[in-house]
Amino acid sequence: MGIFGLAPLLLVFPLIGVLFNGLVGRRFVEYNRQTGEKWSGWFGSLMALSAFAIAVAMFFGLGAHEFHAETVVLFDWIHVGDFYVPWAMQIDTLSVTMMLVVTGVGSLIHIYAIGYMHGDPNFSRFFTYLNLFLFFMLILVSGNNYLMLFVGWEGVGLCSFLLIGFWFDRVNEKGETMNANAARKAFVANRVGDLAMILAMTLTFWTFKSLEFQPVFDSAVEMFESGHMVHFGAFEATLGGVLTAITALFLAGAAGKSAQIPLYVWLPDAMAGPTPVSALIHAATMVTSGIYLIVRSNVLFEIVRASEVVIPGINISSPDLVALTGAATAVFAGLIAFTQFDIKKVLAYSTVSQLGFMIAAVGMGAYVAGMFHLITHAFFKALLFLGSGSVIHGMEHGHHHLSHGHHDEHDTFDPQDMRTMGGLRHKMPTTFAVYMIGSLALAGIVPLAGFWSKDEILAHAGTNPGWIFTVVYWMLTVAAFCTAFYMGRQLKMTFFGKPRHAAAEHAEESSPLMTRPLMVLAALAVLGGLLNFPFFSESAYKAASEAHDYGINLALEHWLEHSIASFELSEEGIVHMPHTPTWIQFDVAIISTILAVVALLAAVFLVYRNRWQTADERDPLQSTPIWWMAVLPFDTLYMKGIIPLFNRLADFLGYKIDWDLWHNFVHERIIRDTFVGFANFASDVLDRQGVDGLVNGAGQLTRWLSGGLRMSQTGYARTYALSILLGTVALLAYFLWPVIF
Amino acid sequence: MELTIDWYIGLSAILFSLGALGVLTRRNAIIVFMSIEMMLNAANLAFVAFARHLGDLDGQVLVFFVITVAAAEVAVGLALIVTIFRSKKSINIDEINLMKG
Amino acid sequence: MGSGSVFIVFILMALVSVSAAVMMLLSKNAVHSALWLVLNFTAIAVLYVVLNAPFIAMVQITVYAGAIMVLFLFVIMLLGAEQLQGISGVHGTERYHRAVAFVLVALLVVGFGVVIFNGGTGGGETAVIDASPVALGLRLFEAYVLPFEVTGILLLAAIIGVAVFTRRKKKEA
Repeated sequence: MGIFGLAPLLLVFPLIGVLFNGLVGRRFVEYNRQTGEKWSGWFGSLMALSAFAIAVAMFFGLGAHEFHAETVVLFDWIHVGDFYVPWAMQIDTLSVTMMLVVTGVGSLIHIYAIGYMHGDPNFSRFFTYLNLFLFFMLILVSGNNYLMLFVGWEGVGLCSFLLIGFWFDRVNEKGETMNANAARKAFVANRVGDLAMILAMTLTFWTFKSLEFQPVFDSAVEMFESGHMVHFGAFEATLGGVLTAITALFLAGAAGKSAQIPLYVWLPDAMAGPTPVSALIHAATMVTSGIYLIVRSNVLFEIVRASEVVIPGINISSPDLVALTGAATAVFAGLIAFTQFDIKKVLAYSTVSQLGFMIAAVGMGAYVAGMFHLITHAFFKALLFLGSGSVIHGMEHGHHHLSHGHHDEHDTFDPQDMRTMGGLRHKMPTTFAVYMIGSLALAGIVPLAGFWSKDEILAHAGTNPGWIFTVVYWMLTVAAFCTAFYMGRQLKMTFFGKPRHAAAEHAEESSPLMTRPLMVLAALAVLGGLLNFPFFSESAYKAASEAHDYGINLALEHWLEHSIASFELSEEGIVHMPHTPTWIQFDVAIISTILAVVALLAAVFLVYRNRWQTADERDPLQSTPIWWMAVLPFDTLYMKGIIPLFNRLADFLGYKIDWDLWHNFVHERIIRDTFVGFANFASDVLDRQGVDGLVNGAGQLTRWLSGGLRMSQTGYARTYALSILLGTVALLAYFLWPVIF
Repeated sequence: MELTIDWYIGLSAILFSLGALGVLTRRNAIIVFMSIEMMLNAANLAFVAFARHLGDLDGQVLVFFVITVAAAEVAVGLALIVTIFRSKKSINIDEINLMKG
Repeated sequence: MGSGSVFIVFILMALVSVSAAVMMLLSKNAVHSALWLVLNFTAIAVLYVVLNAPFIAMVQITVYAGAIMVLFLFVIMLLGAEQLQGISGVHGTERYHRAVAFVLVALLVVGFGVVIFNGGTGGGETAVIDASPVALGLRLFEAYVLPFEVTGILLLAAIIGVAVFTRRKKKEA
């Protein structure tokens, strides 16, 4: 056990933070704004840092343990018949990777939030939610079974809801509570995926009689190798068919949580929450839990791929469906990002797009590449969000500065609108520098983190045979182009040119409390590529593998193979896992780099060259088909098409099926009336006439009999005395009878 | 004529019967009560006679207890009579039939 | 004391006690009844002495004829219940009662005298045992100590019970 005995602390620290901030933090802040905020914020951050320290300890513990997975059972949770679920933490390379990302990035964002949330009346509530989120996210990644994962899954969904709606009382000019609506939208969209998750778990348990990861995977592999059918009571199904259903449901769950087509609509709206939340939950961690789920379940996906079962109707297998969904999302969201003017909305669509990259990667079997991109994306997207937060903060500061001079009651200034910015590189140099790094990393410029991870995905897609991989490769390449383009557009609009609003002129750099975490993240965004640095040629890789010394290359791959490659143990080569190239593919790399640079330059120097002199200028793309394509987002489709349809269906289901048929007819007519009839029979005939008659009859009989007997009870003492005397005489006679006669 | 225990038992029986007669015939609750005392005395006499006859002291001990209990009984009984008299202004037991079923 | 005189005493006392009992039953006046009962008790006390039970005889006189009967008289007079009676059926006259009383008391005195002047006990078929107050006391406190204590509790209960019964309610008072 040793160092793994510390694992429960991973959950305990955030929980302490929740209790502190939830119970007493508010008192601190109310007592003294200045020091109270420090206490509340730093206590929460300290708990996050402590959890990070534990995660680091787990990391070294695994290293000392030869990377063998360890299970820390805290207690038995459910134990009913066959159904056994422990509350246990799985410490393996995959979960520790996620823990490090969650707690590491989480800690930085906690610290940043101390500065960002300064002055908010609900300061300690914010940190309560943030710590609660960490708690649930760590349950999600550390559980050793699907049920615990689901607890975390729901918990982070709840925290997401709470944090998106953190300023739930804010209303827009129409009087709509936009933030609360956005929170509800996120919650409801996630429910769709959660329903799929519940179905998937039910099916998993039905098939494998367990929900714990390792037993499920072991019996899946065993069933696959022996070719047994899966029996569901009266009917049976092939393992491949059942797993296709399970993995397709997992995809639906992941689509909800990781914002994929068609459930991505909630994520852009989720930007209504405070920016640290956007960075932590809606970019770096929570939204990646869908990718984690698929990576964790890689054995099931690979069995489906190997058994070559296709989904009826569309004729593609479920892993391929995952890949195509991801790729489509990447392109689609990348295009929508062109059309956004809100600085955070651009990043939101960018996040959706990058999540599409990851989903596409894991769908293609490039689990390490997916995780790699997940990690680097956590770094630079957190950086970008926090940077945008810094920009918004600066803009608000400038606006605040202005409104001191002259009060403008009808000012509809939006500090997030990029059209009002411009030229901020002079006002906010630190923010500009780190933002630049983040943008280039996201765009995939050598040698920043994003280049390596994105390139690994592209290389995987480009080198494996099959039309799916080819299609995905081209879609992702287009998406990568889009990424670079909209980031160039954003940089141009935000930091270059001239200030287009007085607020931008008076913007100021944010406090060190906010910029220092940004610098740390910028460093990570630069160096993140080292995590899984590829070889430069095939010969270098072969030499290294013969020498069994890979140096710093492919660190993440060798680290994660202890969690992911388990399925490759299966013999006889029946499994053809797609192979990720371990050395750099120069053709792919060169194409993507050129496209990225071209896109960046095109955005800055061609399309938007002379644009953005004034705030009300039109976007030059506004008249092109790209705009129309992107302006017609799924959102509109939802509002105009699906929601009315859904409402009508819900009305039909609710009023006709549920109320009229199920409730009025089945329940009222059939069940209730039958029951009432029987109850009437029981109460009138059986009870009132039968049982009551019997009981009352017995009572009547007793009364009638006692009526005679009570005549003897005169109440006169003399009567009683006489009867005693009679008894005495009788006894005397009895005794004396033999004597006398 | 030899004075045997039979004589004492006979006397005891006569007194007991007279007491019983009193209980059954008199209407004054106090007289009834006194008759009961007389019945107790008749029993006591039989006890002492038997004790003498058997040469055993236990009979006398029992009489002692009977007298004690009788004292307690008289105290409670008279208190009851006083209470009844207070509420009904009568101690005629023919007028008292609260226990009528 | 010879068996002859004992027999005489018994006859006398039997006469007195039976007569007193009859008179008690016949008296119209409750006070008279009580006094007849005292006579009855006293006669029986004489018989106790004859029966080698001096302690019981003393108790009979003091507790029964004394304390208990005083209590009776007290209650009778308290309630004014002397005339509340009337016998179901039987009636007697005052003069006749007085004569009977006189005769019976005389007989009682004679009986007492015989017993006192002829010494304690006599008669009976078996050996006379030690029945002095000391012997009775030892028996009471050795073999019967528990019942003795229980009687104490019984008396206490009676005291409390009587107190509760006769307490007037505050409103009435």
